[in-house]
Amino acid sequence: MKLILLMTLAAYVVAAVHYVVAFMHKRRSSERVAFMSLAAGFALHTASLATDWIEDGHYPLFGLRETFSFLAWTLAVTYLLSLVLTRYRTLALGSFTLPIVSILTFMAMVARDKTAIASSEITRSAGSTWLFPLHTTLLLFAYAAFFVVFAASVMYLVQERELRNKTFSAFFHRLPSLMTVNDIATHAAGIGFTLLTLGVLTGMLWSSERDGRLWHNDPKEIFASLTWLLYLVLILYRSTASWRGRRAAWLGVIGFALVLCTFFGARLLGSYHVFG
Amino acid sequence: MSLLLVGLNHKTAPVEVRERLAFTDEACSESLRVLVDGEVVREGLIVSTCNRVEVLAETNAPAAESLDRIKGFLSQARSIGHADFVKHLYSHEEERAVRHIFRVASSLDSMVVGEPQVLGQVRHAYSLALAAGTAGRVLNRLVHHAFRTAKRVRTETGIAASAVSISYMAVELGRKIFGSLKGSTVLLVGAGEMAELSAQHLVSAGAAKVMVTNRTRSTAEKLAAKFEGTVVEFSEMAKHLSSADIVICSTGAGSYVITAEMARESLGARRNRPSFFIDISVPRNVDPAIGEINNLFVFDIDDLESVIASNIREREKEAERAELIIESEVMQFQQALRAMDIGPTIGALRQKMQDIARAELERQRHRLGPLTPEQERAVESLLISTVNKISHPVMHRLRRSYDTGSEENIQAWREIFGLEE
Repeated sequence: MKLILLMTLAAYVVAAVHYVVAFMHKRRSSERVAFMSLAAGFALHTASLATDWIEDGHYPLFGLRETFSFLAWTLAVTYLLSLVLTRYRTLALGSFTLPIVSILTFMAMVARDKTAIASSEITRSAGSTWLFPLHTTLLLFAYAAFFVVFAASVMYLVQERELRNKTFSAFFHRLPSLMTVNDIATHAAGIGFTLLTLGVLTGMLWSSERDGRLWHNDPKEIFASLTWLLYLVLILYRSTASWRGRRAAWLGVIGFALVLCTFFGARLLGSYHVFG
Repeated sequence: MSLLLVGLNHKTAPVEVRERLAFTDEACSESLRVLVDGEVVREGLIVSTCNRVEVLAETNAPAAESLDRIKGFLSQARSIGHADFVKHLYSHEEERAVRHIFRVASSLDSMVVGEPQVLGQVRHAYSLALAAGTAGRVLNRLVHHAFRTAKRVRTETGIAASAVSISYMAVELGRKIFGSLKGSTVLLVGAGEMAELSAQHLVSAGAAKVMVTNRTRSTAEKLAAKFEGTVVEFSEMAKHLSSADIVICSTGAGSYVITAEMARESLGARRNRPSFFIDISVPRNVDPAIGEINNLFVFDIDDLESVIASNIREREKEAERAELIIESEVMQFQQALRAMDIGPTIGALRQKMQDIARAELERQRHRLGPLTPEQERAVESLLISTVNKISHPVMHRLRRSYDTGSEENIQAWREIFGLEE
């Protein structure tokens, strides 16, 4: 299991390096290598998650280690889907995503779960229904979509600023146009929000089945609601005009900060949610 | 097989010399036939543009002799005395000639590095040489490799990514903001030359609609006709502002023609879709306060100049990376050139055939009984001349494949006769 994850990491690192090189030097050959290694890494990663599932007997999304690994996987899936399903072939997004995928995979390798005993207990109750894995998977994909919103928003802000200051950096000519990143952010926000809504709903359902309560006043739940509200505002704000530009992009950045708070911060505040 | 390039360009020769040496298309075709005599010069190509005149030749003589030949040719063809141009000439042999032509085609040797016209000019020079029948095996190869190199340089470096002229800035900004200019609408306020040039670039980049407005309606009509555009009454410009994605302003007005108020209203009507204003008039015609508004961008003449200056610096940096691509392509071409040489293949084929004949003779010799040395020689020469006669048409075909540059055929022959072992 460790070995296959190590191979995954190696493939992701190769892909990350080549995406960055392809982005900086506009090199087609590097782009091909990057895509191939990403595909290989993704296949290995999927296999690794599948063996975990079979060996441990529970859905491989529990505790910090598995969450990191699964999050890296969702980001890889998201980027691959964006390559396959959309017309945006953005190297910039790849060189943004793959280093993070690599770091998350690395963290998954070194992270150790302190909650090993507690987890087995909750797993049993968690395993009693399909709602729990659905809840966590939906949320992780929502986070991946919000990461895309964040990346596109940063690209928008950087370029908008350079256009306004009339100083174009070396990156300027390599980033996708304002229209493209604006579209990407709008679509990704819509997808992310839908997933987040479904993720929260399945979480509430699961919770009410388990102990009859929809709401626990848990820090993670509070942060998640704030995040949900913020993206709702973002989507409404974007949809009331054909273009929102800078302010919408800032919302995309702030929204992602909230996502990070929900993901990591809530843990520090003593949430009963056991994983990230 | 040896390559020689002789020429002069904007760096080595003043325009008075360049214009005297420049070839028109007809002169070029005629002169090519004079240049390529089949003895010293076997293949030839002349690149003649306003910035350069270069003769590229594949020659069959020592470099010094070929060089004299080409100098004499230039002097004769353009009726210009040796003393008037020889000191401006540069000459490159072999690998250096290859590198030079690759650099020229990739626009690294141009006055404005990265300008796209020069590739077209090389292409044109090549088509003239093809028509005149003076581009053969080596030059075909060389020129196609130069095209390939130029393409690599264009796609893999940012050498031509950024605009270096004011009229092209509109296209660059449009691409940066809208991604593609397809279907976009341009409004020209004032009908100056620069506005026309910008509009030309925008239309060839995909802009679908051009609107022109001018205080004098007839001038606007003339310009609009060139782009099949529409004329907008100058007093009604504000109404049409909202449909324009790109506004190019170049009137002689002494105050702001487009005010922040007008821009804000049009932005509302556009449901916030961004638009940008290029203001090439002095004094300025577009209120700079518009640039503060979210989703609106204003570039005045100083902004354009400073972006162009930084783009030129950027191009120079990219040019360094382009040089690396050139080096690797030169190396590849040199390798391909060596592989192209037919001599070894023909030698190997002849040798193989004769070896077979001699080996068979050796094997069957004892059956022939005692022979006089004369008879022995006769038997051997009988065999050798037989295999030579058999291989003759094969070699003939090989040479022809070689001359037409079809390497696959040569490779096929090599495999059929087992020359690869």
